[in-house]
Amino acid sequence: MEKIALSRRQILAGGAAAAVVATERPASAHSIKGEVPWAPSQADAPHAIDPGGYIFFTPQEAALIEAAVARLIPADDLGPGAKELGVPTFLDRQLAGEYGRAERWYMLGPWRQGSDNQGYQSRLTPAQLYRYAIKQLDAHVSSIKDGRRFANLATEDQDALLSDLEAGKVDLGGVSGKAFFDLLLQNTIEGFFADPIYGGNRNMEAWRMIGFPGARYDYRDFVAKHGERFPLPPVGLQGRPAWSSKG
Amino acid sequence: MRSATPFLIAGLLVATSAGLVFADGDHAQIERGRYLVSAGDCYACHTADPSKPFAGGRPLQTPFGAIYSANITPDRQTGIGAWSDDDFYRAMHEGVSANGERLYPAFPYPYYTHVTRGDVLAIRAYLQTLEPIANAPPRNKLPFPLSERAVMRPWNWMFFDDGAFHPDPSKSASWNRGAYLVEGLGHCGACHTPKNVLGADMDDKALAGGTIENWFAPNLGADLRTGLGGWSEADVIDYLKTGRNSHDSATGPMSEVIQYSTSQLNDEDLHAVAAYLKDLPGEAGRVPSSASGQQTSSSGLSGSGEAIFLDQCSTCHRSNGEGTPTVFPPLKGNANVQQADATTVIRVILQGARTTPTDARPTPFSMPAFDWKLSDAQIAAVATYVRTAWGNVAESVSADDVGKLRRTLHAKAE
Repeated sequence: MEKIALSRRQILAGGAAAAVVATERPASAHSIKGEVPWAPSQADAPHAIDPGGYIFFTPQEAALIEAAVARLIPADDLGPGAKELGVPTFLDRQLAGEYGRAERWYMLGPWRQGSDNQGYQSRLTPAQLYRYAIKQLDAHVSSIKDGRRFANLATEDQDALLSDLEAGKVDLGGVSGKAFFDLLLQNTIEGFFADPIYGGNRNMEAWRMIGFPGARYDYRDFVAKHGERFPLPPVGLQGRPAWSSKG
Repeated sequence: MRSATPFLIAGLLVATSAGLVFADGDHAQIERGRYLVSAGDCYACHTADPSKPFAGGRPLQTPFGAIYSANITPDRQTGIGAWSDDDFYRAMHEGVSANGERLYPAFPYPYYTHVTRGDVLAIRAYLQTLEPIANAPPRNKLPFPLSERAVMRPWNWMFFDDGAFHPDPSKSASWNRGAYLVEGLGHCGACHTPKNVLGADMDDKALAGGTIENWFAPNLGADLRTGLGGWSEADVIDYLKTGRNSHDSATGPMSEVIQYSTSQLNDEDLHAVAAYLKDLPGEAGRVPSSASGQQTSSSGLSGSGEAIFLDQCSTCHRSNGEGTPTVFPPLKGNANVQQADATTVIRVILQGARTTPTDARPTPFSMPAFDWKLSDAQIAAVATYVRTAWGNVAESVSADDVGKLRRTLHAKAE
């Protein structure tokens, strides 16, 4: 079993990288006096992901992630699953970005065992955790399944392995299998239901499935229409197909 | 200190000659001057940097190039401190500087020529009390031959009629006071009257709406749809005094006009201005024009326009277009939305807008920008939708119109 061994140097290097990133951005907090500032064309625009292939995952990592999310939210008669809706791309962009670097989290010691309600407790950033856990998981699968990888197993076997992870029966070289499973499940759900601008929930299919109307914030026209179905389709931060229709 | 001493002495001399202790008559004249300077909105154009009020240097973008406003503080070298009262009156009345140079009509002397000598001298008296600020405005950016001030001689011969204001005896005193303010110091036509190719007012279309600095200053005539026809006198007064009324909220260049000028007018003058504006003719009373008043049925784009409106605009402007009067402007029946020239509608959707804070309504509301989010075709669709929905009537907007304005504004911002 490989032991997790983060050296002081790695932690310092990680901290330095975070500091560099921080100085690239303007300070986000500042006080306003007098008039509320306003300027034309000013917008705190959300940043759409770059479409295309994986940035963070290696092909082998991607194969495991695609297989795993396809079991967490499989395609069925209700609609497409996490893989079809782009959740692996969502995870890839998140892990390549500030979430993956745990930029907004306190990431220094002390390293004591936290309780579940205390949130993320690993000393690894999410990107480091995924990379390490995926490698360990494939090594684990290889050792018990004749050298095969997780992605090549039958779906029943994949389900069994994921269940073992969830039940805390698998140790991933010092990282709790349950901690990784919980994070992966949470991130998969986030990608499945987040705005399509972030890579998952393609064409707002997940919203359509549950009848969520999207980024709307006013329902006064419908308040008195009891028992009627809300007539408008979901809308995302980048709009909906009808915004570009002719006619 | 060595260089400051002559300035100090000069300052003392000016102060002495103006009289360090004002007699009551002087004080009344200066206070009247202060009020008239507000009525003329002198501050807006003659201030580039709020820490240097009236020191000039603000570029006024004309179709011919940038013209920089003059320093009108009493600084003797760079301002008008060395001018005589007659020099100042000639500048206001004829558009001629103290050194004999012709001024460009970006300085609205074609309007100020109507201001009485008494009012001009009161303005002068007030300006002399300002702190002198040494500030020489940059050179104008005009192409030859417009860069030669002598070209203003034939221009003036063709388009400028100097002369005092002549009251109309058939109208009330209030109406005449309104006419004096609107056609004189208020220089409303500088923006609201369309210009010919040489930049002069088209007198047969006075206050019928004009294009200025990539905005469209709307028609002020009696037209129901595009003018003030649907506004009462009280609506006009509310708008000028507070920046808002139940029909619309001021934004763009009108914000400054309201902030520095009309919100400072007394109620009597506001009534007078409203009485005069509400008596302006509409399209029917002017020379018929073939270009405006044409109804165009909603184009094929309105399907997407309606979808965008419902998703992005209806929270504030409501799906029935009625908005929340005095908070979020109604678009149904809104004159700004239905102008023949759609520049303002497109611009507000592209860049967003903010209402002007006034003493009466100190909290400004702002509309977000959509240029980062909507394509030219999408903005054209939603602009067309608001111009044709709920009984509104106006020509449709093309993606090309939006693209041109987007590029112009983008280039201006850089």
